[in-house]
Parts: sequence; structure tokens; C-alpha cells
Amino acid sequence: MRKTVSKRQWKVFKVLLDSNQELSTPQIETRSGVEHPQVAATLIYAQEQGWLTLKEHLRKELILSDSAEDQMKKGLPERQVLPILAEKGRMPMQEMARIAKQKEIPMGDIIKWSSLRGWVKKDKGELIITKDGHKAIDNPDADEKAIELAIKSGTLFLDQLENQGIDPARVNKLLNKRTSLAKIKERTIRLACLTDAGRKILSEDIKIIKEQNILSPEDIESGEWKNIKLRHYNVTLEAEKIYPTKIHPMQKIIQQTRKAFLEMGFTEIVSPQAESAFWDFDALFQPQDHPARDMQDTFYLTRPAEAKLPHDKFVENVKQTHENGWKTGSTGWGYKWNLSRAKEMVLRTHTTSTTIRALAEDPNPPRKVFCVGKVYRNEAISYKHLPEFFQVDGVIIDEAASLATLLGTLQEFYRKMGFEKVKFKPAFFPYTEPSAEAFVYMESKKSWIELGGSGVFRPEVTRPFGCKVPVLAWGLGLDRLAMLRYGINDIRELYWSDLDKIREVSLCR
Amino acid sequence: MPVVTVSVKRLNELLNKQYKLNVLVDALEQLGCDVEDTAELGLYQCPACQTPNDRLEHEEPPKRCDFCGFESEEPFEKYATDKVIRIDLLADRPDLFDTGGLSRALKGYLKLEKGLSEFTVKEGNIEVNVDPVLSQKETFRPYIACAVITMPPLDQTSLREIMRLQENLHWGIGRDRKLSSIGVYDLGTLTPPIKYTTVDPIEFKFCPLGMPGVQMTPRKILEEHPKGVAYAHLMDNYKRYPILMDANDLVLAMPPIINSNETKCKINSSRLFVDVTGITQDAVINSLNTLVSALIELGGEVETVKMNYPEGPKATPDLSPKKINIKLDAAQNWLGLDFSKQEFMGYIRKMRLNIEPKKDVYEVSYPAFRSDIRHEVDLFEDLAIGYGFKNIQTKLVPSLTIGEARKEEELSQIVREAMTGLGFTEIMSLHLQSVERHFTKYQMEPGKEHVIIKNPKTIEQKVARCHLMTGVMETFYKNRRKTVPQRIFEVGNIMLINPKMETGTNEYRHLAFAIIGPETGYAEGRMVLDSVMRELNYKGDYKPVSHPAFCQGRCAELTGDAGLWARVGEIHPQVLNNFGLTYPVSYCELRLVKVI
Repeated sequence: MRKTVSKRQWKVFKVLLDSNQELSTPQIETRSGVEHPQVAATLIYAQEQGWLTLKEHLRKELILSDSAEDQMKKGLPERQVLPILAEKGRMPMQEMARIAKQKEIPMGDIIKWSSLRGWVKKDKGELIITKDGHKAIDNPDADEKAIELAIKSGTLFLDQLENQGIDPARVNKLLNKRTSLAKIKERTIRLACLTDAGRKILSEDIKIIKEQNILSPEDIESGEWKNIKLRHYNVTLEAEKIYPTKIHPMQKIIQQTRKAFLEMGFTEIVSPQAESAFWDFDALFQPQDHPARDMQDTFYLTRPAEAKLPHDKFVENVKQTHENGWKTGSTGWGYKWNLSRAKEMVLRTHTTSTTIRALAEDPNPPRKVFCVGKVYRNEAISYKHLPEFFQVDGVIIDEAASLATLLGTLQEFYRKMGFEKVKFKPAFFPYTEPSAEAFVYMESKKSWIELGGSGVFRPEVTRPFGCKVPVLAWGLGLDRLAMLRYGINDIRELYWSDLDKIREVSLCR
Repeated sequence: MPVVTVSVKRLNELLNKQYKLNVLVDALEQLGCDVEDTAELGLYQCPACQTPNDRLEHEEPPKRCDFCGFESEEPFEKYATDKVIRIDLLADRPDLFDTGGLSRALKGYLKLEKGLSEFTVKEGNIEVNVDPVLSQKETFRPYIACAVITMPPLDQTSLREIMRLQENLHWGIGRDRKLSSIGVYDLGTLTPPIKYTTVDPIEFKFCPLGMPGVQMTPRKILEEHPKGVAYAHLMDNYKRYPILMDANDLVLAMPPIINSNETKCKINSSRLFVDVTGITQDAVINSLNTLVSALIELGGEVETVKMNYPEGPKATPDLSPKKINIKLDAAQNWLGLDFSKQEFMGYIRKMRLNIEPKKDVYEVSYPAFRSDIRHEVDLFEDLAIGYGFKNIQTKLVPSLTIGEARKEEELSQIVREAMTGLGFTEIMSLHLQSVERHFTKYQMEPGKEHVIIKNPKTIEQKVARCHLMTGVMETFYKNRRKTVPQRIFEVGNIMLINPKMETGTNEYRHLAFAIIGPETGYAEGRMVLDSVMRELNYKGDYKPVSHPAFCQGRCAELTGDAGLWARVGEIHPQVLNNFGLTYPVSYCELRLVKVI
């Protein structure tokens, strides 16, 4: 089969066929009129085909700045003042500064470059010309000669200088940091030479076709595409990064949590964020002098300041339970319960207020309910704490509810949240008995992380609302889970969002 | 929450075994303790008052006594280091606050001992006379309970253990000395009987702990002594201050602030006098019972002290066990565990309780200090711990229930899908804000519709949000150096006052979206709003409105059936200035549904 090459490739091969020697890439570029990247790509392609050999070597090229020619015409700053200094032999610095100002050349440049060249010495505030300085008056320095050559020839490599009697090391030293004049850049130069086989194929067995980046609608419709080669891309290169718009990472955790509960047969419930102390504390058998009810920890409200309470039976049962245990089999707390404290309005401190309301509304088994919502603690904002965060609470009201089914349900819940390894330890919470803390194994941290409390509601909590079976309850702060999962160290990052970061968090994390 | 540090060496000494660290940590966790970590602790002692001033190995050695404020040029001398387990105190279980109490529980869990510990109390002959004036409002601290304990002569270890336990009980039961406070003294320095009375804060003088040779008035102690300064607030309403003195008017303590220097416990003290005073009987009795029971574990022997109250005498401490009946089947059902009678009684005894089968029930005796027990379920917890949480075979409830999502959540998910499809990124912002960030910056007057917080720590949490603008505007500010246009949205609840509601508020689920960029304007906001309305099948009518946060003539409100409401417009340039923004913003807020 005949080999096909594009028109542009052919221009490159033609140059090589016409020559009997090795050719450098710049030479090929000049002779073929093809630009550097395409020449390079063509040569590499041909090398892979075995049509030519490529030799590479590094060369230092002298690249003039745009103003180099101009500067040379005017004379470099240090050269302009050299004859004046030579005449006097030595000169105070101020004198030189005055001359520099007159000639509109920077004083700094004069001192810096003539010192580097060894033309002058500084002595007690005076500049003294050296022997080399005197010699230099009529003799251009190495770099000046090199620049003149470069201006004439267009490109100049340092390795070409020795033939011209110019010391490349001195050129390198003098120009290395003088980018306003010229840069010395390392370049890889390739020398290409056709192999015998390549020469044979390219002279006899070639079909030249058009090569394009894209096909036009006309190319496609007319069938012209048959004569066109789509240029090959390097399909392994990295692509530019783009991200879809997304829901917030915290939202993803909330939705994952809701999904877990819904799949497990739980009904979603809701309750007010501005809540009465009755539902937030009293209904959960929290005594009215409990430290959690302090102004220190709980946000109280001035508007609305007072709640209406549920019907009298519930309030009376709760009061009795606090005072003497009522019919719950408990001793109660043994203090005088105060109705007005129960009417105080707070921002709910947990979503357990939501689940206890649901229990009061319908205490009949079997029921499974859950809610996700904001809860509030009276804290100042810091990297570790916010005064508000999301919490999930779940409750099971069931004849078969027990510690063993609590742990089983939690295990299943945490598995759905992505934690395969879960363990439990006993804990002490005010309104559950027994209570358990769940620990999940976090692969990214290589350690067990405490994640949420749980327990069986005390009868003092459930009986006043007419519930006669055990009730399982658990809750978990979702912000902490988000911090762990996304590796966030500063909780504030979640709520004062860097939009790029939201988009970059992978949906499957 | 205070952390208790337990020496591994000391614990093994009390257990009379050589347990490895991990065995102890695991056992403590299975007992319900929150083990914070394990560490090396440097032991230091104040040269002036001998109070322990321990520091973790990576911390600076102390130069100033935490207790009496004594300062030295050189750091205190470290006399030993100790491998310790650090445990967060469990507020509900003061009996596990110290090495003595923990060792009692561990002995049961590790099967070294079982059943109730012996708490023998001998009758003593020391009396305390209680002045009736302490029951009056202006000097109210009426309750006192005391005990005499004979310990093996105190060394640095036991002295520090007593002091630490005392501090922990101040926190755990005393609510930082508010309800009750404890004093421990060298009985050898005292002449009984003791009197509990009051003194004048300005005229009376004594030498407080840590300041040998300095006589101070109670008022001066509150002003100058470190402990006085720390607890002065407890004396705010007192005309005269409570005081404990012996027969020769030697001061024991000025509760709840400070003990005297002369009567303090020292190395080699052996016969100790303990008092607890306070404003509730429960706290006083619980503190004393817990303290003396722990000291018994450390080798102490207890004698009673007779309180002569105005209404009659009463001897303390009373460590006789309390009793409660529990049922086997109730326990099995509550825990979902199957165990035989024998196993059942074994688990209870393992938890250092006694159990006796009666006719239909089992009678459990528990120590006087277990003030957490108010119901049989409290014992079910002990039973579960005795059984071992590790050993529980977990299961699921068999009942079938059908899950159901809330309507507003389902709706919000549809809205999120639409908004991300329209090229908007979701943000979430905080609900609590300052008046300035919620109203003033929008040129709005705070009206009567928003929830006001009474006691925020900072003004940043003064109002609960009634609109979603601030999260949006502040997100734009945070991202002001990034390329525009930016498109963001938030879906969340807002609260509005409604006196007719049980809790005085309504909550609505709102959608807010906004675009910032040189080209955006009313038309773009309106286009997106109409698109969302079509997706939700909502219909409404627009009318022009003027609103201080929006440009005049470029703001509309939409209303429709079932409380449908939206506002859309271009944000006022003054508001852009107020939030540090330099491009136009088009903003829309749509009420999706009423939640509460």
C-alpha cells in the first residue's frame, strides 16, 4: 500500500530529499516555509516510520532584545562615559551622576556594568579607571562583538563565536543577567538525515493528500472528506479542566442522609426552628435547672417571647413527671416545675424537639420518622464551631424496639452513609437509657471517629405522651461529617463559599 | 468539659494487677468512659500550698500556682512523670470521677470483684452546730453534711487525688460551686464541736489557703485571692458570709470560696474532716457520699458526724445501699437480649450492685452515691454494660413501614435540578445575622416581622433571617476577584413572626438566585424566574414595586394562588457599594412553599 503524507509534511520531506547532508530544524523551517511545531511533529513522525534519523543537541542561542540594536547604535551607557573618565583618570561619584543625568542614562547601569567589565574601581567615593578600562576605549568587548554579529546574521549560537576569536565564556558572563540587552537561551537543535529506506519510499511510493483540523459542512456533504486526512491529535495530552455547576457539598450530605432514611422506611417530619422550651427541654425530661438550658448555651428569643403550650393533659403529665415521676415508674427530679419557664421561646438546640413532637402527635407503633434541620447553640463563630449546624434525628416507635435493634438500625444507617465498619460504646445522655455512641472507621483518617449519639428514650420522656412501647432515638451533627468527609479544617469554609471549590468537589465523594 | 487524668501505675496498684494500657483503655470505654487520649504527665507541686500543678509533657513547666497564685522565678520542680489515661468527665456519673471510683468499677468489669463494695460507717462523736441564720434569704446556704475519715497517712499521690476529686465534684455536682462545695481538713488541727455560721465581710479576718501569715477580710479575699476573684460572683447577694469555725473560733473555711491555711491537709495528715455545704440538699448529700465512697476505695475508714440543725439532729454520711425492683422479662425486652436468670444476676453483680430474687421481681441494691438511678431503666443500662456492648447481637425491627418524604424537600430537589441545569451553583449560608447585615446594608428598616434573639454572644447572631439576600451578596463579595458573570442560588427556610401560631412563627421555603456581571439586569433575572415557574407549574402576575434594596423602576413582585410570591429586580447601586461589589447584580427570591 502506498504511504500517504499531507501536503505540509511533503514540503518538509522535499527539503530533505533535495539535500544530501544533515539539516537542522531551523534550516528546514527556512527552506520549507513550514513553521517550527509542524516541522518538529513531521520529523518525529518520520523517525517513528524509520524514514530518517534525528540527532539532538543543546545549543546556547543569543537572542537580542528589541532595543538591542538601538542601544548599540547609541553606545552602551558604560561606553558612553568611558572616554570622559579616561581623560580625568578619576572622578567623584557626584560628578559621574551629573554627567549621567545630562546624558539621560541611569547612573546605576554605568556603575554596575563598567564594574562587571573591570573597567573601573571604586575608591572613597571616587571612580577610578583601570588599565582594562583604558584598553577598552578603542576595543569593543566580547559581548559587543557578539551582538554586532547577531544583528548581522539573525541567529547566533555561542558555539559559533570561537571561530570569530570571541570568548564565549565572557559573553555568557556579561550578558547572563542583562536581559534589557540580550538573553541567552538553551535550545534543542535537531539534525535530520534521511535513511536509505526513507529516501527510497519518499522518492517512489508516496500519495500526497490534504490534511485538515476540522471538516466543513461542504466537505462532509460533497464527499470531499474522502480526500482529506484529519490531522492526528496527541489524544493522551491533558485536557483543559472544566466543572459542572453543582449542589452544595453540605447539601449532598443532607440528601444522602434523607435517602438513607427514606430507603429504610422512615417518614420525613418537620417542626419549628423557633421552639418552646417545653418541646426543646421539658418534654425530654431535662430539669429546668439543667446547665444546657443556661443562657450561656441556648439562644432565647425576645420576639416571639412566649409560646402557647399543647393541650393541658400533656403539660400536666410532663409537670408531674418532673416533680415526682408521675405514672412512669420514676422518682422524678423532685423540684417544683415552673410553667412560665416551659413557655419561653428558644432556637431549638436539637432536632429531638421534632421527633418528640411527632411522638406526641401519634405514639402508636409501628412508626419510623426522621428529620434533618438546623439547630442552634449560643457560641461565637470560630474555625471549629458555628452557632448553627445541621442535625439529623431519627426515631423508631415499635413493640420490638430495644437496644439490640437500635444498634442494628444504626449499623444499617451508617452503612448507607458509606461507613462499613461501625462499633458502639456505652454513653450517658440525659434522656435515653441505655445510651450508645457510634464510632465509624474513617479510611481517610485511618482511625475511628465518634459520630452521633443514640439510645432508648427514658419512659419519663415517652409515657407522658401516651406512648407505651420502647422508642429508639438517635441524632448526628452533619456539619462535622461534612468536615471529615471533605477534609475541611475550617468550618466557616462551608458557609462562606469559594464558588470554584464547590464546583471542584467531586459528586461521588 | 473537665478532663480527669488517671495514672496507669496507680490504677494497677489499686487493682493489684499489671494490666497493659490498651486493656485498661478498652475496659474503661466499655464502661462508658470517654477516653480522650493517653499521655505522659509531668507532676509538679506548688512550693507554697502543695497543690498539684500537673502539666502534660509537651507543655511548659508551671511558674505560677493554678490554685493560690504563688509565683516563682524558676519553674516548679518536676518530681515525677506518670503515664496517664485522660478521660472526659461524665456529668451523670460523679462516682467515676476519680481513680478510686474507676478502680471500683474496673474491678467488677475485669471480674476481680463483684457485688456491692463494703461501705462501713462507724458512729463518731463530732458535732456541727448549724446557725438558723443560714436559712435566711440574705445568707442562704442552709445545707451541710460532714464526715470524718481516717486514711493511710497521706502522701503526694493520695493528697493530689483528694484535691482533684474535690475539684471535679465541684464541677460535676456543684455546678462550679453554685449548688454545693466541699472542704477537706486535717482533723488534728481542729477542736470540736464545729460551728457553721456567718461573719461580717468587712470586720472579720482570717488566713486563707496559700497565703501563710496573711490575715484578710472576706471582702478582701474576694478582691485579691485568685479563688476569691474567680468565685466572687457567688456571693453577690450575701449580706454576711457563711463560715465554718471550730470551738476556738479557728476558721476551717469560708464556703464556697476558700479554706483556711491553718487547717489544710498536708503530707502525713491521716484523720480528715470533710464538709459539704450548699443550697440544695441533693447536691450536698451526693457530693459527700461520692467523696467518702471514693476515699474508702483508697483505704479510708469513715465515721459519722452529727449535724445539729435548728429542727433537730441528723448524722451524715448515710452510705446504706438503696433498693429498687426490676423485672427480668422487662429487662430482656428493653435490651433485646436473651440471657438466663443466672447470667442476668451475674451482669448486675459485675456492675458492683447486689441482686436478690424476690417473688415476681429482683431487688437490686445500689450504693448511696448512684444519684443517677431514678427508674428501673437506669439499671437496664448497667445490665447492658455488664453484658458488654461488644457482645450484643444487633438486629432490625421486623415491622414494615413505608417511607415518605416531605413535600417541601421533594420540591426543593426539583428546584435544585432546574437551577443547576440553568448554570447556577448552589450556596448555603447561615440563618443568624446582625441587624446591619440583614437590614441596614439594604437601606431597609428592621420591621416587626423577624425573630429577635435575646442573648447572643455577638451581634452577628441578633436576627433569624427573613430573606435570603445576605448569603448571596456575601458570596459575591467573597468571590469578587473571580471571573464574572457568576450565577448562584440558595434554597432554604426563612422565619416570619405570626402571633397566631403555637410558637409564634411561620417558616417558608424560599429560593434565591442571583447573577453578577457587567451584562446582567432585570431581563435576565426575570427570564430565569419565568423558567423556574414553568418547571414548577406555578402561575402569577407581575406588578412593579419599589423596594429600597432594588433600583427604582427595575423591581417587580409576583403574586399568585396559594400564597405564591416572588420579588425580582436589579440590586440598588448603594447596596452594591455597601457589600463592596462593582458589577450589577440581578436578584430574585421566590417563595416555594409554606413549611410551618
